[in-house]
Amino acid sequence: MITIKGLHVSIEGRDILKGIDLHVRPGDIYGLLGPNGAGKSTTIFALLGLREYESGHISVLGYDPKNHGAILRRSIGVMPEHAGFYDWMTATAYLRWYGRFYQCPSTSSKVEELLEKVGLKGEGQIPISGYSRGMKQRLAIARALLPRPRLLILDEPTNGLDPKGRREIHDLLTDYARDGSTAVLLSTHLLDDVDRLCNRIGIMDQGCSRYEGSLMDLLTQGKGSVRYRLHLESEPDAVVMPAGMDLLGRDGDWWQVEIQLKASEGPSSYWRELWRRGWPILEIRSEVSSLESFYLDTVAPSHLQLRETV
Amino acid sequence: MKMYQLIAMKEGRQMMSSRRGLVWLLAFSCLLSAFSLLLVSNTELSLLDNAQVVNMMCGTVMAVGALLAVVLGSDAYAGEKERGTLVPLLCAPIDAQALLVGKALGMLISWAVMFLVAMPYLWAVGASGQNLGAALFYLALFGTPVVLGFGYLAMAISARTGSVLASLMSMIILLLLSAGPLLIGPGLRATVIGRTMDMVNPFAGALNTFDSVIIDSQSFADQAGRFLLVAVWLALCLWVARRKAAHPEFQ
Repeated sequence: MITIKGLHVSIEGRDILKGIDLHVRPGDIYGLLGPNGAGKSTTIFALLGLREYESGHISVLGYDPKNHGAILRRSIGVMPEHAGFYDWMTATAYLRWYGRFYQCPSTSSKVEELLEKVGLKGEGQIPISGYSRGMKQRLAIARALLPRPRLLILDEPTNGLDPKGRREIHDLLTDYARDGSTAVLLSTHLLDDVDRLCNRIGIMDQGCSRYEGSLMDLLTQGKGSVRYRLHLESEPDAVVMPAGMDLLGRDGDWWQVEIQLKASEGPSSYWRELWRRGWPILEIRSEVSSLESFYLDTVAPSHLQLRETV
Repeated sequence: MKMYQLIAMKEGRQMMSSRRGLVWLLAFSCLLSAFSLLLVSNTELSLLDNAQVVNMMCGTVMAVGALLAVVLGSDAYAGEKERGTLVPLLCAPIDAQALLVGKALGMLISWAVMFLVAMPYLWAVGASGQNLGAALFYLALFGTPVVLGFGYLAMAISARTGSVLASLMSMIILLLLSAGPLLIGPGLRATVIGRTMDMVNPFAGALNTFDSVIIDSQSFADQAGRFLLVAVWLALCLWVARRKAAHPEFQ
């Protein structure tokens, strides 16, 4: 769905991207990780055809964004980091207006259905000026999902959401990517989001790709299983574990589990199964976060180098 | 509906239904009311003949129109960027030129509304004269390209700098420079420098046309040179805007 090889971007003579490689396949929920200023947003804008690039190769849904930007954006839903809206419009009017750019039939009922999906049921007729930050975040996700895109690009989608809201958005995204023909590119610095959702990750730092690969390979590192701690809101109705998951113990509201990871997918299928069985999960943490330590090991050396040069 | 029509529809509604748009129209109406009242009640101004009054009012309407275009043009890209609404627009499948056309159409809608608001005032002060029809025709014919040109130029600076303040300040200075030669005395305007500035200044070109057709009842053929000047001005501003708006500053 997305292939980027050796991407170089300069803005006003400054090298912003200095060799980015990125590959997103159908069915992927791809986590693009990196510290602030790593070049994540610039990479996203380049693949949407909004930022020109000096060298390298980009192919998105088979198109070159340099020449076919407007065409390929018809099949992409984007949630930018700063989700602005016309505050004087209602959410329903805004989504109906925005949907017309994609030439998709955005009827009132379809818009209401979408608003319900993102947790804004009954809020569609209120002017957006009356929305809280979390509500605007949900509306931005609705805007991205509106054209039923083949590719969904989300920049910090769970910023400003409470734990329940985050879980709802996680469910929405895993449902969206489930059919295997679509893909999600998730740019974030919340490792918990990546831990929960992604099957593949790419780590960027200072405009360069530092790592790209399967999250499972990274987490298991030959062990085949990973331990997590789950923070539950209340006791689950029944403590029956899905196949491949073992309950190791509990400490107050925190329950310790071990899961056998499948190479092709992330742990999200287990969490979905637990939610289905009525486990009120508020938070999920890796027992020993391989991802966190790997991430810090990957980006820290370059930061140290930067500090020395400063 | 085409992309540019959707943008124009939003721009028009934003201007007409927002508090900012209503305040603008109210202020414009108050200005024209005060101006009309002065022309009737002020001892010296009431001595002006009918054609001179209509001429002055046409100039005022065009100047306020150009100011509105500068404000709207400055907000077109930079204002959207500052409010965080530009990136979602650019991420949609909208061609950069369609966005520019839509924004220009929105500006044209606002100018048309101003024109409609000004009509009863022009009629009130000029109905007893003979050149009211010509005044309205030439205000539309010469005023529209001048106003739109200022709007395009403001959009170009707004798209390039991404700052409303920078665009607004630059364009207000340009607007004052354009109107400057008109503020200097007739003696100075008759000099070589004054005449040269009149020849290249589209704002002066339009005002001189109003003067010629409303007061001196000249024909359209006599205004061909000035019409060419405002047409070139519009084409030049459009060219600059198309170049700058192709890659607006958004990050």
